[in-house]
Amino acid sequence: MIVGQIIGGEFSALIVRKKAEADIELGELLICEQEDRKILLTVFDLQFGSQISQQNLELIAGMRLEQQADIDIMDRNLRNYDLVLVKPLIEIKGKKASISKSLPPFFSSVRTIEKDDLSFLERPKNPLAIGKLRSGSKVLDVDIYLEGDKVFAHHILIPATTGKGKSNLTSSMLWSVLDSDYAGILILDPHDEYYGRHGPGLKDHPSKKAVYYTPNNPPPGEKTLKINVRSLRPGHFNGVMSLSDPQRQALANYHRQYGKEWVSAILLEKPLEHVRFFEETLQVIKRKVMALLDADITNDEATFKGIFSSTAGETTIAEICDGLEGAKTVIIDTSTCAGALELLIGSMVASEIFQRYKRHKLTGRLSMKPVVSVVLEEAPRVLGKDVLEKGSNIYSTIAREGRKFKIGLTAITQLPSLIPRQILANMNTKLILGLEMAPERQAIIESASQDLTTENKAIASLDTGECIVSSNFGKFAIPVSIPFFRDIAQAARAKRREQTMAKDFSGVDLT
Amino acid sequence: MRFAHMADLHIGGWRDPLLQDISFRAFARACDICIREKVDFILIAGDIFNTSLPSIDSLKGTVKQLKILREHGIPVYIVPGSHDYSPSGKTMLDVIEETGLWKNVVKGDVVGERLRLRFTIDGKTGAKITGLLGKRAALEKGLYSSLDKEHLEQEQGFRIFLFHSGITELKPSSFQHVETLPLSFFPKGFDYYAGGHIHTVSVEDVDGYGKIAYPGPLFPNSFSELEELGEGGFYLYLDGEVRRVPVSMHPVVRCKVDCGNLTPEDTEKKIVDAISALEVTDALVTLRLHGKLASGKASDIDIKGIFTRLYDQGAYVVMKNLSRLESPIFDEIKVEQGSLDEVEDRIIKEHAGQHQLAGYSPDEQRALIRNLMDALHTEKKEGETVGTFEDRLDRGIRAVLGREKGTSPQ
Repeated sequence: MIVGQIIGGEFSALIVRKKAEADIELGELLICEQEDRKILLTVFDLQFGSQISQQNLELIAGMRLEQQADIDIMDRNLRNYDLVLVKPLIEIKGKKASISKSLPPFFSSVRTIEKDDLSFLERPKNPLAIGKLRSGSKVLDVDIYLEGDKVFAHHILIPATTGKGKSNLTSSMLWSVLDSDYAGILILDPHDEYYGRHGPGLKDHPSKKAVYYTPNNPPPGEKTLKINVRSLRPGHFNGVMSLSDPQRQALANYHRQYGKEWVSAILLEKPLEHVRFFEETLQVIKRKVMALLDADITNDEATFKGIFSSTAGETTIAEICDGLEGAKTVIIDTSTCAGALELLIGSMVASEIFQRYKRHKLTGRLSMKPVVSVVLEEAPRVLGKDVLEKGSNIYSTIAREGRKFKIGLTAITQLPSLIPRQILANMNTKLILGLEMAPERQAIIESASQDLTTENKAIASLDTGECIVSSNFGKFAIPVSIPFFRDIAQAARAKRREQTMAKDFSGVDLT
Repeated sequence: MRFAHMADLHIGGWRDPLLQDISFRAFARACDICIREKVDFILIAGDIFNTSLPSIDSLKGTVKQLKILREHGIPVYIVPGSHDYSPSGKTMLDVIEETGLWKNVVKGDVVGERLRLRFTIDGKTGAKITGLLGKRAALEKGLYSSLDKEHLEQEQGFRIFLFHSGITELKPSSFQHVETLPLSFFPKGFDYYAGGHIHTVSVEDVDGYGKIAYPGPLFPNSFSELEELGEGGFYLYLDGEVRRVPVSMHPVVRCKVDCGNLTPEDTEKKIVDAISALEVTDALVTLRLHGKLASGKASDIDIKGIFTRLYDQGAYVVMKNLSRLESPIFDEIKVEQGSLDEVEDRIIKEHAGQHQLAGYSPDEQRALIRNLMDALHTEKKEGETVGTFEDRLDRGIRAVLGREKGTSPQ
């Protein structure tokens, strides 16, 4: 349907005179069709236009309001109208799309977008489903996929204000990952929301590739989060708790001298040979380690409560990493962990998988491995400027070097402006949800893969479940409607109930 | 209350007749200790035999010991393990149970698609015993996932859970690649969890559960177990206290020789020097060679001569392991390490993904392959006709295929 005509403007802001009965929204996608090509346009602003001067408009309004006079000048559809500001996104020729670099002809007609216009959007080899294409608030039956393996390795940022659907987007995206085998996902879940302990969640995916670790009464079949203290290394504490240089050196010396028993050695105040530290330094690290690991000394033995243990959990970190290498989605419930403890757990897993993938690269096996992504809620806790000023941590290392080793971050935050610009720019895919605060939008726009300078209003007006995908691996900033994850998971549950197979009780005497 | 907890006897497991005999004698010794300690009953947490249909000799000797126990009024409670359970349902454990020499405690009812286990109550002590069997590739997971835990947790009295599975959270790092079950599958609050399958020795007090014990094998079941454990043993539960009782059959003398950069001749000399100093009388000697030879290959080393020398010194059994010995000639050969099961599991894991069976998850596919391998491993028995053997084989395979997905065999 023809909705308007191009009547002027400049390349980055073409003016379209809207047809009277047409309905055009901010963020809507339009097509300017030429003989040999189509130009995809996006609406970034709407204005009033009129054939009547401002003075006369004011006069007419005054007469209507003050004298109840009904005056009409000129034909109703010709006198006042909407002007639509649009920006060319891409040129489409058959199944090929390229960045638009020329103006459409003057007076070109503009029409609404149709499914067939988007035949160039193909399903990639390793699809990461984001949602359906959105044109303004209208949803088209066009699935939007990204090249999952590339997108995860080059980091994803999900910025949004509370309530705009971060968890819903992440869950539905990860649901799609579970359909294939190209990615292993580690989720550090401070709200215990992804597994679906009390409702629909990733556990309902038919692949059964979601693995859940929780310290709190795991559901049958899931794992208790127990980590052996012998798995700890001094580097795991980087970015987890503040340590002075002498304290850091003391940790390293304990590890060098006592190997896997180094944590117990600190707690039991065992001596360090060949080096000397102030007694206060050793006492401080003992206090910090005890508090973080919930440790105690009983009968001259270091004992641990909570997640860490001196006896159990020897294989936990290795098994989590095995799961990631096996393209599983590993969810770690950290809802009852203090912030630092959550970061420590994440640091242990992320360090181990990073080391493994480095080895795989050295031995030429990396190409056979799935990409790994670490999902970080409230990402500025480990990637914030203030945190990184005190020293790097495994997450900043992954942000910098991870893509060389097929490891990426999926950082979720309400405050992207707290993350250094260099790291934001390295996050090559941004799934932008509604952001009301101008400085946060600015941080995203300045670091986006496409020019989003005209999208400021569109981002501010994104409703719950609406998203703009800006990615190095996409042709343009794609408006997307995110499916309601609960519906997807519930449908899968219902299907599973229908398909329940006969249970095998062989080996049990049922007589 | 006094009871013994044994596991992983693997009677008939060793190929070497001398070692096979030791594993059987270890059981006899353990029974003697139980009689001497006046235990109220004995628990055996699976893998009593190394196969579901053990040899006549293994059966005969085991039954003899069980009869002695019965004469002393010591009941034996068991669960089948991954080795002596048969997916086709044909296992000699059932035959022994029919004689009343032991009681398989894996009994229950299906209530609303859930498995409600029944307790077997020990007549003398009133101890309530229940549990689940072990299957290959941790396929018992299906039973645990249907288990009505609440029903078990509500039961009052002294409760024992007998099982043959590794527990993920308690698994030592050396068993990292062994399939295990998470602790969350197990009912809470039992007084004693008698485990088997993982050949390691441990007893842990786990929050919300109780004492979870793995006594390890009664006699080591492989070369590496002999190296690591030296001897087998079992647990004695004596009124709340858990004590490990070692079962020492023969001293184990471990000899590890680094052959790196040595010629086969120099290696021989080094081994001879090493063994000369050893006291090996009546011992089980494990000889492990490792490192990369400077020249030649493993077969150039006169292992036979070294064995003769050790036997002359009085060794009871000598074993060798050359899996970590590399030759410059064959350095492209990758040597798999681990037990036969581990190696097989690794190979299955590596290759299972190459052909996707419709409707099977990767784990289910691996379990199916493992069970089919077990079913196909069946050997023709003495006196059995070809037709009967083929029928038996056919039934075993059909049972596996039918039960795997809950459908009728085609």
